[in-house]
Amino acid sequence: MENVIEVKELTKEYKKFKAVDNLSFEVHEGEILGLLGPNGSGKSTTINCILSLLNFSKGSIRIFGKEMEPSAYDLKREIGVVFQDVAVFDELTIYDNIDYFCGLYIKDKTLRKKYIEDAINLVGLEDFKKFYPKQLSGGLLRRLNIACGIAHKPKLIFLDEPTVAVDPQSRNNILDGIETLRNNGATIVYTTHYMEEVEILCDRVIILDKGRIIASGTTDELKELAKIEEKVSVEVKELDEKYIEKITELKNVEDVDYENGLLIITYKKGKNNLVELIDYMKKESINYNKIFSERPTLNDVFLELTGKELRD
Amino acid sequence: MFIHNLNYSLKTLLKNKILIFWTFAFPIILGTFFKMAFSNIENSEKLDIIDIAIIENDEFKNSDVFKESFKTLSDESNKDRLFNTKYVDEEKAKEMLKNDEITGYLILEDEPKIIVNTSGINETILNYVVEEIAQSETIMQNIAQKKIQDAISGTIQFNSYDVLYDNIYNEVTNIIKENSEANIEDISNSNLSYTMIEFYTLIAMACLYGGILGMVAINQNLPNMSNNGKRVAMSPTPKYKVVFSSVLASYIIQLIGIALLFVYTIFVLDVDYGTNLSLIILLAVVGCLAGLSLGVAVATIFKANDNFKTGIVISFTMFGCFLSGMMGITMKYIVDKNIPILNKLNPASMITDGFYSLYYYDTLDRYYFNIISLLIFAFVMIGISTISLRRQKYDNI
Repeated sequence: MENVIEVKELTKEYKKFKAVDNLSFEVHEGEILGLLGPNGSGKSTTINCILSLLNFSKGSIRIFGKEMEPSAYDLKREIGVVFQDVAVFDELTIYDNIDYFCGLYIKDKTLRKKYIEDAINLVGLEDFKKFYPKQLSGGLLRRLNIACGIAHKPKLIFLDEPTVAVDPQSRNNILDGIETLRNNGATIVYTTHYMEEVEILCDRVIILDKGRIIASGTTDELKELAKIEEKVSVEVKELDEKYIEKITELKNVEDVDYENGLLIITYKKGKNNLVELIDYMKKESINYNKIFSERPTLNDVFLELTGKELRD
Repeated sequence: MFIHNLNYSLKTLLKNKILIFWTFAFPIILGTFFKMAFSNIENSEKLDIIDIAIIENDEFKNSDVFKESFKTLSDESNKDRLFNTKYVDEEKAKEMLKNDEITGYLILEDEPKIIVNTSGINETILNYVVEEIAQSETIMQNIAQKKIQDAISGTIQFNSYDVLYDNIYNEVTNIIKENSEANIEDISNSNLSYTMIEFYTLIAMACLYGGILGMVAINQNLPNMSNNGKRVAMSPTPKYKVVFSSVLASYIIQLIGIALLFVYTIFVLDVDYGTNLSLIILLAVVGCLAGLSLGVAVATIFKANDNFKTGIVISFTMFGCFLSGMMGITMKYIVDKNIPILNKLNPASMITDGFYSLYYYDTLDRYYFNIISLLIFAFVMIGISTISLRRQKYDNI
């Protein structure tokens, strides 16, 4: 698979603070690469360096095999960017906003008109073409932000936290749109601190913390890094301390936590943990409402690797 | 791409309510207030025509200077007429003064003598005018005397005494005539009203306020200034094209604003810009360029939000206009006298000075000096901006 982006030893320093620290990675053609990390981990700085908007202290960046620089207009023509902050003109309608930004790439008016309609349909803003940005909800505004960034049908798209502070309906719409873009052949770099989105969308994930890559791979590969196999949650109204101690002694149990009527048991690798737990509770006549099991999340991986949660 | 960006820059700038207020509405509102305030002041300060009498004795009949001067100052066709003069004998004058029909009367004897009942502004004016005329007459007499002495001593050769007399008579008459005309001309040329002074500073202010347009246009295109700028920077359109088209759009809107201001002041407020309107418009066009360059420089030099930068442009403009006489023409004289360099560097002062020069000077040298000064100011501002605009990457955005 061909590399669309090649980043080598990228370092960006602000005085003595290293925002990006010796980062090296590739993005393959047609994939969605997730850059996952908490706020301030260096995701946006990395993207701004790749886009040649920011000076960087060390390293090299190649896009489509060519060195990326501010005057690389042939490369820029193939790139679409959706920035974290909404970047639209309040004075222009939805249609005009998309037309303006698309017009910086596409001269042909007829072709541009078609592209704009495609972008509007992709993000589901068909009913809002003549609206002004201030008339839109936060979610619709985010969709417009995306439409402005991808209307010119770029081959490489950077999406920097496109779903921050949006309602569930808009989030689903945005995620569906990104899937469509990938299906149409675009390569996507997707930054977020929402692990659920990464699990749904991304083929590969790079986890960043303090400007460094702390793990990378597919979501399954990353989950392997976590030392836990399963997490079981049980709703129990009342539970005596002696039962908690007994549960801790069950096979494969790594940790037990009981708070606000919810018992959470974390298991190390192993099988049939849930069956054994249910048997034990029956034997001890412990009444419970709901019980469910889940596999470790990327947040657990992050917790395992850094000792803190992704949203900290 | 250039036309595309120009179109949308015009659209975004014209739909920006804050910009439109400062560029179009504020100067018009301020102009309306000026007209209301200053025309009243001018009306209240306008001098009434003073009723006077002159005793028509031999001394007066023989004094061409007094005769000509009062004839001019009482001429009904003269818009700056000061007196309504009656030529009477002394008895009649006394009676008229007693009946309050006149402010006072003038008797020419060895010395000019003014008889008044009370003291006030009209009496002071009459006294001042008579003193001025008397001084002029003394000057004429001295010149005539010198000419005669020169002729007698042989410095000037004449064929006959008749010719000598004619020569002196003509010269003195010409001096009287020239002096009289010069006075009239001087009065009309330098009589720049409060209203006009305020309107000229208003135009200067409107020109410099256009800087806000330039500032916003630049901010929209630089990645370190706005989110939209980041998007524009990522497009395959070269920065110079985007920046130039946006600045051109700002300039077009600024000129529309100035044109509206002229139309409003001329046709609605009835402001008379005189015969030099084309030169006034040319100066305003160059002034707009200076204002625009100021805004562009502020946008590129300061890394701050729009509101802060707008504050800088407005403060600079208002302070510049204050120094150039917007809140009282005395300030301009004070600055010119004590810190002349300040007004030489102040674009508002360059603009107003250019306007005043059309009134106070017969030649256009000073006018063109101000035009060139404004162009240099714009050139320096654009130069500073260009250095900053050439940057392609940023340390932080």
